[in-house]
Amino acid sequence: MSILTMFKGVRLPRAAAPSPPVDLAPPEKVWIPLRQHQGRVCDPVVNPGDQVGLGQLVGTSEEFEAANVHASVSGTVEAIAEVYDPAGQKVAAVAIKNDGKDSAYVPEGGLPAPVGGVDDIMKTRPTRLLRRLRDAGLVRSATLGLPLHVDLSPPMAPRSYMFMTGIPVVRPIDTLIIRAVDVDPPVTPNQACLSEASAELEIGIIALARIAGAQRVVIAVPSGQPHEALAGLAAAKQWELAKINSANYPAAHRNLLVHSITGRVVPTPYGEPRDVGVAVQPLVTALDVGKVLTTGRPPVDRVFSVAGDVPNPQTFRVRLGTPIGEAIKAAGGLPANSGKVIVGGPMQGYAHFDLNTPVTKETCGVLVQSAEHVRSFRNEPCIHCGRCVQACPVNLVPAELSKLCEFQQFEDAADRDLLHCIECGCCAYVCPARRPMVHLLRYGKSEVLAERMEQ
Amino acid sequence: MSAPLLTVSTSPHWLGRTTVRSMHVEWLIALAPALVMGVYLFSYQALIVVGLSAAAAVAAEAAYQKIAKQPILVGDLHALLMGVLLGLILPAGAPWWLPVVGGALAVVLGKLFFGGLGGYPMNPVLIAWAALALSWPEHMQSFFMPFTNEVSETPLMMLKNDVSTLEVVGLSGLWWGQFPGAIGANCGWALLLGGLYLVVRRLVPWQIPLGVVLGAILLSLLAAYTDPNLGQLGYNTFGQNFAIALFHLGAGGVMISAFFLGTEPVSSPVTPWGMFLFGLGIGFMAVIVRVWGGPVDGAFFGVLVMSAATPLFDRIRPKVLGKVVPGT
Repeated sequence: MSILTMFKGVRLPRAAAPSPPVDLAPPEKVWIPLRQHQGRVCDPVVNPGDQVGLGQLVGTSEEFEAANVHASVSGTVEAIAEVYDPAGQKVAAVAIKNDGKDSAYVPEGGLPAPVGGVDDIMKTRPTRLLRRLRDAGLVRSATLGLPLHVDLSPPMAPRSYMFMTGIPVVRPIDTLIIRAVDVDPPVTPNQACLSEASAELEIGIIALARIAGAQRVVIAVPSGQPHEALAGLAAAKQWELAKINSANYPAAHRNLLVHSITGRVVPTPYGEPRDVGVAVQPLVTALDVGKVLTTGRPPVDRVFSVAGDVPNPQTFRVRLGTPIGEAIKAAGGLPANSGKVIVGGPMQGYAHFDLNTPVTKETCGVLVQSAEHVRSFRNEPCIHCGRCVQACPVNLVPAELSKLCEFQQFEDAADRDLLHCIECGCCAYVCPARRPMVHLLRYGKSEVLAERMEQ
Repeated sequence: MSAPLLTVSTSPHWLGRTTVRSMHVEWLIALAPALVMGVYLFSYQALIVVGLSAAAAVAAEAAYQKIAKQPILVGDLHALLMGVLLGLILPAGAPWWLPVVGGALAVVLGKLFFGGLGGYPMNPVLIAWAALALSWPEHMQSFFMPFTNEVSETPLMMLKNDVSTLEVVGLSGLWWGQFPGAIGANCGWALLLGGLYLVVRRLVPWQIPLGVVLGAILLSLLAAYTDPNLGQLGYNTFGQNFAIALFHLGAGGVMISAFFLGTEPVSSPVTPWGMFLFGLGIGFMAVIVRVWGGPVDGAFFGVLVMSAATPLFDRIRPKVLGKVVPGT
């Protein structure tokens, strides 16, 4: 960390080290959205009334940017109806009534052969491994997660914005960063899994590195939390460890992690780490990969944190499609005067309105706020103090941008690099006038993009 | 089942504790050492001047907002801060009506006519100071010798007439405020203490104070090395010339400009290099006016002139992370 970035971002209260995840009993009924990732919606392959087994395919798609979805309980398909997904959009979902037997589904050709160890992986062709991950429908388990088979492949061709920015060629992926630190504490599914460094994790990381073609593996671990098991594994495999302080928000943000570990700059607004030859995967995903390869079954659960004003904040392993209300109930239930239920963390999360929203592969957890902890913006005039400029991790001038957006000077704002904002929320956090900075910048961005689409 | 009503809003859902009011409270805390030193040096008269100025500023803001049917925003303590700051750069021997007029001018002419907090182009305190200094120069220069009630010349006035003043004025006495000067701007150490508190609390960016101090030191070194009179007096080594730089830093309004007047949020730039150059300009201006110019001290003029250039400094933007420039 250089001296200039040291003053960037904000210091959040340090979250207590989370305890390992505990299993949550499967609910009576699950809603499995047919899109649990960024990309296309899958087509259902089951009909109401069908019997499905645990891990049976219920939705698939011909498109590349789509991940298969599987039944997370065994039982009867009740309906295919629309529900709200964690981002607040309507999406078709398969409702399955749980028969409580968890009888596993065995496909006609039998399960794919389980991988016995590291040697098996090194003998298998990367494309074959990738095929298995694609069949299992794995998704990068983070907000805005792409399907894993997309995320691990370098871009097919230089994308249009790259021609404009002068990046000449497609760059092969040479670095894999395993992110064991969470961006937005206290919602910490990855940090809760730190102690689960096992043979599965080792297989998962090695498989990810082999598929991506990465020679260098870096594990970003949270400072101030024990991670001996992971450190031992890294030492044995000659992987690097990078300590990241997650209270030093947003040090664990994907683009900034790539910048601080490899020194490469991920082009914004449309770029991704894979454009500069880096694959960033959360620890939870590496664990899932290991599980998929060693058992041959698709993942049916998700590590899900419930934090904030609940009686006992806890990290759970919940079945996909469980309503988030069930997970909150397991952590002690909503406080009497409920304020917000935030999918994601306090700084970037989405304040949700519907407790029946199912847990999907890209949700990390919820933060519950009681009414007295809800803070409101006031939108006083900007006093030009410059605290947001000090805090902005990508060196924008948010004060000026927010004023331009407030008074609808969108093109001027775009000229001042509005679109490079990563919406981390640091500017709104430090603003003494309590201006809704992120809201204004998002408004400006959407207007600029809408205008460009028209042209 | 009846679902509980949930609040929805845009992220972030946590906000920092700093508000406009708490920011001003911390500024007032940071000004306390300078005020205490002022009262110690100039007895109760200092307290009367500062108190009258602060009271006038608050009363003027309340009255203006009442008459203009605006919401009354005295509670954000900005008017109080402006009044205290103005009181600290007035001489202790000022007649009672001077701080009253000044406080009212600062708030009404400097701030509210431009649309209130956040809208004004220049520091209201210095607008009021300039108006007073131009209208009543004789009262604005009635600086008391500390611990007495005798009007006397400040070190900078003596320097204007005679370079050999430097031999009479001891550096440690100057930094502890043992010579005539304004109430709060006199004691360099007290201002440094309060200013560093603000920097550590991240309420004031470090670039502006650093720029002012560096600018003043650089230009006073240049002035010292190019002045033939000083050479005749025996100022030849770097150490001696640096002592002259420290004299310029401690005397007059440089320290209070570096930490409290130049860093005033509304009228100072926000970008890192912009802030540093802004500070550098203030430091340069202070010494240029002192050595080659007509008026006695240039620090406050420096702040006013540089504030006018703030929109220009704000155009010096930092490099955006993630913006890939073609051809690199």
